[in-house]
Amino acid sequence: MQEEIASHARDISRALGGKVSEKEIENELNNYLNVYRVSLDTAKRSIVRKHGGDPTGLQLGVSKTIKELIPGEQSVDMLCRIVSVDGRQIDVEGGAKDILYGILGDQTGTVPFTAWVVEGLDLHKGDVVRVRNAYTKEFRGQVQVNFGNRTTLAKESADALPPYEPGKGSVPRGPPTPMKVVDLKEGSSNVSLIVRVLDVEKREVQVNGDAKTVFSGTFADETGKVKFSAWKDFSISPSDTLKIEGGYVKAWRGIPQFSFDERSAVSKLEASTLPTVEELEKSPRVWIEDLAERGGAIDVVVRGIVIDIKEGSGLVYRCPECKRVLRKMACRIHGEVQGTPDLRVKAVVDDGSGALIAVLGKELTEGLLGKTLEACITEAKENMSQEVVRDQLADLLVAQPVEVRGNVTSDDYGLMMIVDGAKILKVDVEQEARAMLEELEGLEDTA
Amino acid sequence: MNRETAWRVFAGEYNDSTLDMSDGGERSPTYVVTPLGAKVNRLFVVGVLTDMENVGTEQGPMWRGRITDPTGTFHIYAGQFQPAAAAAMSKLKPPVFAAVSGKSRVYKPDSGATYVSIRPEIVKVVDANLRDYWVLESCQSLKKRLEAAREAYQMNPPTVGELLKLGCSSSLSAGLVAAVAHYGNVDLSRYSSMLAESLRYLLPEFQESRPPETEEVIKVEEKVAEKAPEKGADDQLEADILALIEQLDKDGKGASWDAILEGAKKHKVDRDKLEELVNVLLDKGLVYEPVLGRMKKI
Repeated sequence: MQEEIASHARDISRALGGKVSEKEIENELNNYLNVYRVSLDTAKRSIVRKHGGDPTGLQLGVSKTIKELIPGEQSVDMLCRIVSVDGRQIDVEGGAKDILYGILGDQTGTVPFTAWVVEGLDLHKGDVVRVRNAYTKEFRGQVQVNFGNRTTLAKESADALPPYEPGKGSVPRGPPTPMKVVDLKEGSSNVSLIVRVLDVEKREVQVNGDAKTVFSGTFADETGKVKFSAWKDFSISPSDTLKIEGGYVKAWRGIPQFSFDERSAVSKLEASTLPTVEELEKSPRVWIEDLAERGGAIDVVVRGIVIDIKEGSGLVYRCPECKRVLRKMACRIHGEVQGTPDLRVKAVVDDGSGALIAVLGKELTEGLLGKTLEACITEAKENMSQEVVRDQLADLLVAQPVEVRGNVTSDDYGLMMIVDGAKILKVDVEQEARAMLEELEGLEDTA
Repeated sequence: MNRETAWRVFAGEYNDSTLDMSDGGERSPTYVVTPLGAKVNRLFVVGVLTDMENVGTEQGPMWRGRITDPTGTFHIYAGQFQPAAAAAMSKLKPPVFAAVSGKSRVYKPDSGATYVSIRPEIVKVVDANLRDYWVLESCQSLKKRLEAAREAYQMNPPTVGELLKLGCSSSLSAGLVAAVAHYGNVDLSRYSSMLAESLRYLLPEFQESRPPETEEVIKVEEKVAEKAPEKGADDQLEADILALIEQLDKDGKGASWDAILEGAKKHKVDRDKLEELVNVLLDKGLVYEPVLGRMKKI
């Protein structure tokens, strides 16, 4: 460690143009690390700044294994293998840009990466590379490694790291854990599930450059529905009742999705094991607090009260290129454009256990307002304000109990439902109150 | 960062709160923790806005309103930093059914007392149906907390992990552990009768005991008056209580509740009956409550 400190001290001294002695810096660095216990990276940057230097002049990053990576590292070195690599074009301000993305692996794990500068970069699957000055960010709860301007990559010999074995460490061990659909959470592995197939389709997909066949569709049990992907042909057909052992759960925008492959066992069960397809196709009613714990779900019903109508509701104009909602008649990406009108609602629905943003599209919004998009445009023109439609929606919906149905996703801003069906809720308050009171009094009598 | 839940909590439970906490960290939100462990940062209430007053100045208004539910009264304050809510409040003419979503606030003066109030975000006029729906929701919410508190009191001391295992949400589990540490094991019968009373409030067969609040209820009373001659007796009692309130208001600050209660005994009026009569007087606009616990003739 002390040897490593010395080389970092040398790096700091170099970044400062040699105006402070290595010995002095080494003492200072030890002080930061052992007395103040800040991270090596922070310590180095702080020392350079303290002496009036520029921390980007630092060259020697902190070497870490993939397991040790945390989000927000500004300069990290790693020795890793390219598990997969692929290129694509992205739209950025000022036109298209090529990037590379893929997965890095070492003996401790794997991590996704993105290379933002591809000129002179020649990466191939299986290469072992020494990465210097990469940085990390968090994306949907996962660490991501980024290669930027300052990052350098050097190829090492293939035996500098033990060869990567796909799936190593994730092979099902011991008996699988039986779960219901409602219990599936991102990261669950070696799961056993009893479900009915609602629909299934065969698709060809590209996985890291290789063509693969996947069978995907929807499963359901009495607790809910889940999307699945089978990476092997288990000859699944609609309405089959199946027991799947050794599956695992990944998440897409927070929604748990069930996957299984050649390491899983699939067996057909008696149809009577689960309710009928019609029964299972109904959308279960859920509490928002449970959705928050699950991360999301497909096709669920939520009952709650609209407690706010968010900005950007009502009459909006969208970019004809990318469909983004325009702000001040300009698109974030395409600048000033002739927008296409649309209607939508972004409502905060709260059921007392949690809150979500419910997004309603044009048809549902027209239905709630009882008038068409064209009528709204005319009204907005008459009133010289787009906001008039939002105000009407607020009058109509705020403090109103509603029932909404759809898929619920989540991100850093919380839960969002893309609403497929919405209705104003009418509840027989008297009947429910009587049932609750009878239950309470029943308890008292027996007590 | 999930949006803070808008709790449905009765005034009776919310106003019992004397604990506020934050999860630590500079920008973490603060919560009012009720004796039953509701960790309230935001709440949604529906009730009767009984009075409203600008306690600020003409230039810098601060609107204070009182919203009653079947169990008590919420105090709401909106000033210049809640422009939308303040504007909405300034237009309200009590009595009226109002829905408010807002943030929980705590005020702890040196005297050691704790006052909780609501800083509204959204204020809207609604109808009796929504109030009834809200009472039902609040009953369901209260029932959940009562059951969780009963479980927690069995543990010594309760832990978040054990409560989670019983199926409590993470928010309620954390709230209950903090509540038990601060309040100890409170007498749950107060809250179970609050629950039963609130449910009865929604049922027509118990409407007799429903405290009169608004013109709607007054209309019902008018109907009763036609066929019930003893209604005249109530009118007489109302006049007696009104006179009593005026008589007891010696310093101009209003008559104290305890004194009214004592004086009412002469008229053979018990506590429940007195509350009913005072509510009628409040609704008729003959008296008002200048400060909590004091009544004054207008």
